[in-house]
Amino acid sequence: MNASWHEMVKMTRHGFNRRRFLHTVSAAGLAAGTLSFRDLVSLQAEELRKKHKAVIVLWMAGAPSQMETFDPKPKHENGGDTKAIKTNVPGIQIAEGWEQTAKVMQHCNIIRSMSHKEGNHRRATYQLHTGYLPAGSVKHPSLGSNITSEIADKKLEIPSIVTIGRGADGNGAGFLGVNYEPLLITKPGDIPENSAPRVTDSRYAKRLNLLGKLQEDFSDRGGKTVVQNQNAIYGKASRMVQSPNLQAFNTESEPESLKTRYGNTQFGKGCLLARRLVEHGVSYVEVVSNGWDTHDNVFDRVSTLASQVDPAMATLISDLNDRGMLDDTLVVWMGEFGRTPKVNGRGGRDHYPRAFNAMLAGGGTKGGQVIGSTTPDGTAIKDRPVTVTDLFQSICHSIKVDPEVTHMSPLGRPMKIVDGGEVIQELFS
Amino acid sequence: MCKNASQWVRFGLFSFLAIAVSTPAMAGSNLNYRNHVAVARQVDQLIEQGIKEKGQSVAQAASDEDFLRRLTLDLVGRIPSVSEMTLYGLDPDPMKRDKQIRKLIASEDFAINWSAYWRDVLYSRATDSRAARLQSGTFENWLKENIEANKPWDEVATEMITASGDVREDGATALIFAHQGNPKEITSEVTRIFLGIQIQCANCHDHPTDTWTREQFHQMAAFFPRVAVRQKRGDSGPRIFEIVSIDKAKNSSGRDALNNPKRLVRTLDKNGDKKISRDEVQGKKQFARLFDRLLALGDKNGDKALSAEEIQAIPLPGGNRRATTEYYMPNLENPTAKGTLMQPAFFINKEKVAAGLKDVERRELLAKYVTDPDNPWFAKAFVNRIWSEMLGRGFYSPVDDMGPLRDPEHEQAIELLSEAFTKNGYDTKWLYRTIANTAAYQRSIKSPNNQTEIDEPIAFACATPTRLRSEQIFASLMELSGLEQEKNVPRGRGNRFQNNPKTQFTNLFNYDPSTPQDDIMGTIPQSLFMMNSNIIDKLISARGTGPLARIVKKYSDDTDAITELYLLVLSRDPSKKELAICSEYLEESSNRNEAFEDIMWSLVNSSEFISKR
Repeated sequence: MNASWHEMVKMTRHGFNRRRFLHTVSAAGLAAGTLSFRDLVSLQAEELRKKHKAVIVLWMAGAPSQMETFDPKPKHENGGDTKAIKTNVPGIQIAEGWEQTAKVMQHCNIIRSMSHKEGNHRRATYQLHTGYLPAGSVKHPSLGSNITSEIADKKLEIPSIVTIGRGADGNGAGFLGVNYEPLLITKPGDIPENSAPRVTDSRYAKRLNLLGKLQEDFSDRGGKTVVQNQNAIYGKASRMVQSPNLQAFNTESEPESLKTRYGNTQFGKGCLLARRLVEHGVSYVEVVSNGWDTHDNVFDRVSTLASQVDPAMATLISDLNDRGMLDDTLVVWMGEFGRTPKVNGRGGRDHYPRAFNAMLAGGGTKGGQVIGSTTPDGTAIKDRPVTVTDLFQSICHSIKVDPEVTHMSPLGRPMKIVDGGEVIQELFS
Repeated sequence: MCKNASQWVRFGLFSFLAIAVSTPAMAGSNLNYRNHVAVARQVDQLIEQGIKEKGQSVAQAASDEDFLRRLTLDLVGRIPSVSEMTLYGLDPDPMKRDKQIRKLIASEDFAINWSAYWRDVLYSRATDSRAARLQSGTFENWLKENIEANKPWDEVATEMITASGDVREDGATALIFAHQGNPKEITSEVTRIFLGIQIQCANCHDHPTDTWTREQFHQMAAFFPRVAVRQKRGDSGPRIFEIVSIDKAKNSSGRDALNNPKRLVRTLDKNGDKKISRDEVQGKKQFARLFDRLLALGDKNGDKALSAEEIQAIPLPGGNRRATTEYYMPNLENPTAKGTLMQPAFFINKEKVAAGLKDVERRELLAKYVTDPDNPWFAKAFVNRIWSEMLGRGFYSPVDDMGPLRDPEHEQAIELLSEAFTKNGYDTKWLYRTIANTAAYQRSIKSPNNQTEIDEPIAFACATPTRLRSEQIFASLMELSGLEQEKNVPRGRGNRFQNNPKTQFTNLFNYDPSTPQDDIMGTIPQSLFMMNSNIIDKLISARGTGPLARIVKKYSDDTDAITELYLLVLSRDPSKKELAICSEYLEESSNRNEAFEDIMWSLVNSSEFISKR
């Protein structure tokens, strides 16, 4: 058996799955030269698997304040106490506290004109993960699961999509199914939970063998499909357990100096792990930083958070660059929305989806630029509004995934990976 | 405890007797609907007729050991204990299957099991993912009490549709709370859960594969524009939410007024500068309170006053749904427009509803329509769902996508069963008992018919092995560990209970019970848990005081010990072949305890253990 993590194993009772829309290129089509557009896209995806493109999302859960990150307003009272600092790109200033990121600004594209309408954490988080608003009738796949289903290396023995930290709303495979469900890692640096056998390798092998034999009778007595499904999943799980690639999760062997640069924090360790995973062939990693919902004391709280995120993100970008991986790896920094320009009575900022920021680095983007701007008081977008779908189109463009690829929802409704929006051309030209 | 499994030998005879006493079905016209056995026979006859017409035959009856395990899992959500198996095996009563069915339905575990099932049905599709965390315990307790009291299904549905009040006090609020009081989502879920119909495709266009129109969807949503979820204020403890009715649009104050900025400015502007200032709102109590916040959000030019344009641009948290107490069908061409005013109407009976009804009146009316005996979908949805959960396959599949254009299996059988359920006043315990008494339910999983890989076996010709729900697996592990399970579900009080082992386990193994069995696949983390977790490792240890330690100590004879282990884990005797494989494994091993651990590891990790057979 040659099943691997992403192989669409026929795991239904009747040998096929009625719900999933599968597309494969027929050998006959190839030979006859009668390839449809969809076939060409499939082929292209096949090419890309070899090139190994990847996305790393740095998710600022709770919604980061744009004024205290990459859109400071030191000249306006709304800017509060936050000062602006220079970066290594002339003319671009960012908030104090992001000194390391300032040094890799030549790789970064700041988008200051993000905008949507959802002021509720859950709904906005879902939207920023799936590109859709939540609906009870359908669980949308996350952009990560969609991308993984397109470009993942099917022979990889470890999951191609990993979330480090708490899985946010909309961060799941939805109707794409378990093959594209992210593996959740709560302790970055250690191998995943329960992936180490409790007995010696030889006894473990003996157990698996015994299990196989003891299932034969049940299979004959009417449990055949159940047994087959189980064998497929156990095959994958035990291959992962026994795979040398599992060590991708173990960061012990990394040099101390590099670990220090990433920072001895959950988030720093997460970013280092993200780089290792991408190196080992993982397609999509989300690293979560919590605590950005700063309704009070925004200046101190963001300062603390920045001291964790800034070194980790900057080191990740330069580390990827040093290894020649940055061109094929897109790093995305974002949260679900921004925060009110006017500081409230508790020295905090409330929810503000109308104008906020995000940042992209690598993945074939130009770097060293700011896209869009807000008014001097920060309450509105001055030019070049960017929607969530624009951002998603751009992420797809960066890693050459066709956003028009359509999957059928369980109720037979066709759904595009990204519905609407346009690529932000400035990123790539 | 019995010496060993020798009693099971006698089962062959008893199960023969149990089936033999079943009398032929009565004729449809003078069928006694109250008599669950008579109805079960009639349903069987219709199903068997259908199978025969296709030139196929039905499987043998399941053995008593398979039946008892299946029934115990279905009704009380765990595998049978060894003593239950023994008592059942020793019972010579030819009607013992029905007796066991009745006994299990009467137990507390029955109510616990099914309230957990409905909890998953409801919260798996919640659009507010906090809902389960904040109140699922309350919902489970509420439903459990109702199930124990055998409250008819129409009353349960009515309470859920018309609920109001504190969501942690009243579990009936679950459906509305899970969807933040959103009329469209509530409409979708009420039809999906109580009618088995997916009308929400008609949200944006006429339903592509059904007869429902877009207008009908929004007419149904018009039963709900006045219900809302509100956070109680002034409480320093955990956040409290309540379901409330909003029957008056607050047009003169508050945030509803913000939906018409021009009018707002016209009303409040005293000095004619087309702006509202602090002075001008003095005396408008509610609005004055809001004014400073609005100023902070909306005053773009810093003149400490708000123009209509500035108000228009203020993003309102949570959208502007509460702008009105009526429901408007959105205009797809122009999403910012107000849309078309809809009067409530129910798409099944199409009766005219008076305009301007209060929230409570609207929801009570809808509940009446939904549960009306003349609405066939209400009974069918419940019958199909419970049948599907128990037999692993529904008349309609998926269970929540029925409708007049769907083609059910054995249509006459579900018609009959639904009619009988309706005539019995939606008596749910009656239905469980009837289904469990059908020969269709009691068949073996081994198909008697030749079928190829891709052929779906004919519906209900044999039983369908299905994957257990997370709580059934957990309760089964608890059962075989010999530990008492904490039965009382904590009432929903925030996330304190997030980290107990049961919650962690059930989160890992959870799936939406409305998913067809075909689409339920295991996951890698689940397999890793069963193979390598600390919990399973402890459970299968031959040392200490665990179940295996007791067995290896008590039975020095390997065959006895293997048999006992099979009974404990798989609720059956090992086959000859299995006995031989295990004996050989023991012989080859130098360490008896370790070899038994490996055998128990294999049984707990087998697909049979996590399946209903």
